[in-house]
Amino acid sequence: MTSPTEEAIGGNGAIPIAATGLSKSYRDRKVLDEVDLRVDPGQVVGLLGPNGAGKTTTVKALLGMVHLDAGDATVLGRPVGDPAARRALGYLPEKFQYPDWLDGRQVLEAHARLIGIAADVRDNAIADALRLVGLAGRGDDRVSGYSKGMQQRLGLATAILGRPALVVLDEPTSALDPIGRREVRDLIRTMRDRGTAVLLNSHLLGEVEQVCDHVVILHRGRIVHSGSLADLAAGVEVRVTLDRLNEEALAVLGGFGRIAARDANTVLLALDDAAAVPALASALVTRGHGLQALVPLHRSLEDVFVDLVGPIGDGEAL
Amino acid sequence: MTVVRLTLREAANRKVLIVGAVVSVAFLVLFWLGFSIAFNSIESPSDPTDPAVGATIMTVLGLYAVQFLAAFMAVLLASGAVAPEIDSGRLHAILARPLSRTSWLAQRAGTFAMLAACYIALMSGAILLIAASIAGYGAIAPWRGVALLALEVIVLVALGTALSVRFSALAAGVIVIALYGAAWIGGIMDIVGTALDNITLQRISTGVSLVIPSDALWRGASYYLQSPAFLIAARVEADTGNPFAGNAPPSGLFVAWAIAYGTTWWLLADRWFRRRDL
Repeated sequence: MTSPTEEAIGGNGAIPIAATGLSKSYRDRKVLDEVDLRVDPGQVVGLLGPNGAGKTTTVKALLGMVHLDAGDATVLGRPVGDPAARRALGYLPEKFQYPDWLDGRQVLEAHARLIGIAADVRDNAIADALRLVGLAGRGDDRVSGYSKGMQQRLGLATAILGRPALVVLDEPTSALDPIGRREVRDLIRTMRDRGTAVLLNSHLLGEVEQVCDHVVILHRGRIVHSGSLADLAAGVEVRVTLDRLNEEALAVLGGFGRIAARDANTVLLALDDAAAVPALASALVTRGHGLQALVPLHRSLEDVFVDLVGPIGDGEAL
Repeated sequence: MTVVRLTLREAANRKVLIVGAVVSVAFLVLFWLGFSIAFNSIESPSDPTDPAVGATIMTVLGLYAVQFLAAFMAVLLASGAVAPEIDSGRLHAILARPLSRTSWLAQRAGTFAMLAACYIALMSGAILLIAASIAGYGAIAPWRGVALLALEVIVLVALGTALSVRFSALAAGVIVIALYGAAWIGGIMDIVGTALDNITLQRISTGVSLVIPSDALWRGASYYLQSPAFLIAARVEADTGNPFAGNAPPSGLFVAWAIAYGTTWWLLADRWFRRRDL
């Protein structure tokens, strides 16, 4: 038997986030340009991008806080802006602050009332949320006495309170130390295991890499990549060193992918298919090219990310 | 009602209520002391209406001070109703809940309006009770007077809230206080215009009261809060009048205007808040 607090606030099986063509400009500056985003039930989606890429604007648009110029979006099956869309949604804002004249439990109690958690299970739900974020025992302390990290944990507790169907976390570890970051990653995994969909907004590649099933990379308001992490890292690079790098050898290499760089007898080849390494070796050997070395290179998410967003411009930072 | 509860708790924890209560009690004690000393010093009045005149002038001045305190309280609360909540990020956590912006704003500003209206009702009630117990003071229509005072602070809360959606707390507060000051000058112009029989001054005053009806509402309220004996004396002798108070009841049209004025600012506040990106 499940205890009352273990019952999630249902999303009625609706798609947590379905958004197409989200566009928003501030004066002449386009901050969102035709952004499509989908989060399925139980999926953890990472929204990644340098500062100023439009991540927070996307999230705020989905929560009805920023009005869109164009685009359609539904959250848990309801159009954005409709308060009912936020019934089974938890949110940790990027700029989090909670009334410092209340204690942690009172903050959660107010949120519990706002989402309509019944009075008889409220205390259990609050205790559950405090425990999951590592604030058990600190609930009766005033927020004014909390460190920044504890305030962020309290924000996480409000976001997961009542086990919502969708949790939106905007830079959830910005104020946390490495241990806190690991705990948040574990918390996200726990939520996923419970069937909660998570939209994780982050500029921390490692964070996204470790917990997300799907990554959307945003740059200057546009999506530059959307897919699974496996897709993203699929393009493997190999370093090929031959006795002599002639036109014929280059033609063979070109048949397997794109030549990213070359010098006298070495090329850096971005393979179209990661599984083609043996075929490449055999093609070079059969045609008599003296193969000195063929080294597959691991591309980290960071390499991919930098390739996609290019050099970081003014006002942007990783 | 959660936002009402949160707002009340905020007022309580930010010491607004306790400081307000301490200052108000001190003010009432001072009023009681001053009123009793002054009233008892009118021992052998040369004119039988003198005690009523003295009591009325003192009571009206006391009520004027209460009105002034309540107006400032209303302005300070309302001008910080929205902008600091957005800037701090506190609002984002709350509005991510199934709560419409209209509901949040109505609960928050409504709580401030209720606090200011309760404050003015309690304080003016206390002043009238002190005057009644010492001098047997009776106002013409105390309920009407207090209702108009409550309307004044509610109008100020609506105006302050609307400006707080568009401007910082400081800017919104400065604007409303400047308007309140302009209304006060408008009131003086009305008194001077009436005394000098100058129609231009009276018209300017009327214009000001339409732009910001706070002082005209006070003058309307003060008419009802004076004693009947005082007003009769004031009609008989032109020099007996109270420069802070009105000599005529407010017109129904003006009261309707003040209600429409407050409602309009409230609707604007709601509209601006719903349209704004947070």
